[in-house]
Amino acid sequence: MEYRSQKIAYWYFAAALPLFVLQVVMGLWLAANYTFTIPQSIVNVFPFATARAFHTNLLVLWMLLGFMGGTYYIIPEETKSEIYSTGLAWFQLIALLVTGVTALVGFLFGWTQGRPLLEIPMALDFVVVIGALVFLFNVGMTIFKARNWTAIQGTLLGGLVFLALLYLFGIPFYRNLVIDWYYWWWVIHLWVEGAWELVTASIFAFVLMKITGVEREVVEKWLYVEIGLFLFTGLAGTGHHYYWIGAPRYWLWIGGVFSALEPLPILLMVIDTMHHVKERKAKIVNPLTWTYAIGCAVMHLIGAGVWGFLHTLPQINYYTHGSQVTVSHGHLAFFGAYALLNLMTFYYAMPKIKGIAAYDDRLGKIGFWTMCSAMMIMGLTFGVAGVLQSYIERVLGMGYMVAQGYMRLWMGVTMAAGVFFLGGLLTTVVDLFTLRPAKAQA
Amino acid sequence: MTKKIAFWIFLIGTLSSAAVFLWATYDTQRQVVTLSHADKLSDQVVAGKRAFEKYNCNDCHTILGFGGYYAPDLTKVVQRVGEDGIRYRLKSPELAFANSFRKMPNQHVTDQEITDLIAFFSWVGEINNNDWPPQDSKKRMSRGAQLMVATVGVSPGAAVFQTKGCMNCHSLRGTGGTFGPALDKIGATLSAEEIGKYVRNPKSVNPDAKMPSQKDNLSERELDEVARFLATLK
Repeated sequence: MEYRSQKIAYWYFAAALPLFVLQVVMGLWLAANYTFTIPQSIVNVFPFATARAFHTNLLVLWMLLGFMGGTYYIIPEETKSEIYSTGLAWFQLIALLVTGVTALVGFLFGWTQGRPLLEIPMALDFVVVIGALVFLFNVGMTIFKARNWTAIQGTLLGGLVFLALLYLFGIPFYRNLVIDWYYWWWVIHLWVEGAWELVTASIFAFVLMKITGVEREVVEKWLYVEIGLFLFTGLAGTGHHYYWIGAPRYWLWIGGVFSALEPLPILLMVIDTMHHVKERKAKIVNPLTWTYAIGCAVMHLIGAGVWGFLHTLPQINYYTHGSQVTVSHGHLAFFGAYALLNLMTFYYAMPKIKGIAAYDDRLGKIGFWTMCSAMMIMGLTFGVAGVLQSYIERVLGMGYMVAQGYMRLWMGVTMAAGVFFLGGLLTTVVDLFTLRPAKAQA
Repeated sequence: MTKKIAFWIFLIGTLSSAAVFLWATYDTQRQVVTLSHADKLSDQVVAGKRAFEKYNCNDCHTILGFGGYYAPDLTKVVQRVGEDGIRYRLKSPELAFANSFRKMPNQHVTDQEITDLIAFFSWVGEINNNDWPPQDSKKRMSRGAQLMVATVGVSPGAAVFQTKGCMNCHSLRGTGGTFGPALDKIGATLSAEEIGKYVRNPKSVNPDAKMPSQKDNLSERELDEVARFLATLK
């Protein structure tokens, strides 16, 4: 840690981790809903829908906290200056947490906007917007006052502004369901395949540059090409969500062609990670941070790239749309691209904030491998369930519940893998909160 | 490659894709009016959409394929289970899903809201959305059914029964839905003519019937074939 104000990042990370744990616990409850018969009396009070709103909103909340913490850690080192105002950073952390917790409690009492992933009621949306403006102001002022422009800062700030702007499209009530979904995807798709990718790419480039010691010139060159490809494929690639919503037929072409190219930037990311690792100028101090970086690139490619590619072609998507195939892709992609990216940032920054040069990573390794294997298994079992569903329900035309009957076993296996995942996550969280210096190598 | 070239790749890539996307957005806004029959988007349909959001239906059910995957897609729900079917499930889910291994919460939806929801679902069901979902497609499934008849050697009626949604509610040999009765021995009590009459207008035979008329769902030929097939089950 080179600047005092970077310490604020620690509290963002510390707030994010328990929320991640709660997200996974909710996930297990959702899997239990698929596997067992939940009695009517419980379903009446705590339906699947509420638990799902918890699961997805917690995901967004903890990941945004992670991104914001990451930003507050990176910006001082990149601009070579302290953060404009740590007071604002504190205010914004507390505002976001209070809003998030209020929203979750509200869900329990049916206070919801009732749109998947965007359940937060409109009143709270405005608090979120204010928080986002404070955040952007704080980061923007830091960059503006320091005048040490770099591509990493630019990408990060650009991604964050884009992220905040897109959120606005999710706030209004749309009379027409088709238009509603059209702009719903401006939030969801353009977040995860646009704005979030920009944030991720810049954080990733920063950490990679720091741990490998490769020159900024090289890292930023790759960064430009990657984000260029991300946006080239990702913007028009939104079309793969417009096949069956009542939008014009040409979306099958736009969506199909641009989405087919979507794995390219991620592949490039893997290649340049491998390249930087090979050409590294620095000694490996913390092997686990490296493992996370490479794991993130590889799982990003599998989950978002390969799994996404598998069902974005209209001919395939016609049968897999809205099935557990989507769930399989969603889990692998979010975990690979964003959960691992955040955890990599935590493992990079938290020891530095605590003043530990080389940390003991025995526990952390167990956590990493448990989570990755468990998530890979979940990706596969969700996938099997999804293929069964697509075939039985959509191809054979048998009833929804007939298909669900055959899928039940696989949802049970998913739940078992989920228990392992939770174990891996708890290990990781405990490890991150109790980081100790590594014993000197004998 | 220099950093400058890399920057231009970024700029051109982003702008060209954004141009395609924004043009298509403009054109989509224009065309959706026709594709979604926006002229039929009445206040009651909008009230139904509000009710749909109020009860967070969309976090268990998908609609147009988006939402929770815990319960059936609602795009064609009116065509599938009829207005009475929707009313029954919303009013008394504990009875409707008594035999199901998955339950639906009783959210005490008011009668007015149910009427609004039905208007909303009826409107959604007519959206021209490239013939999705496949199992409700009029074109595709009949091709699929023809294929089954040709390759597996099942009777045309059996193919209709399997592919036209009958099994959403009825079961054969333990496979299928639990809403309606199992039909394993239906031929022992009803003839093909009686079944044909019943599926065309269930209420004319039994005023309390929950089954929706299949006249809009199936063609005359399909109705005859499925009745003939069911009559053979003894």
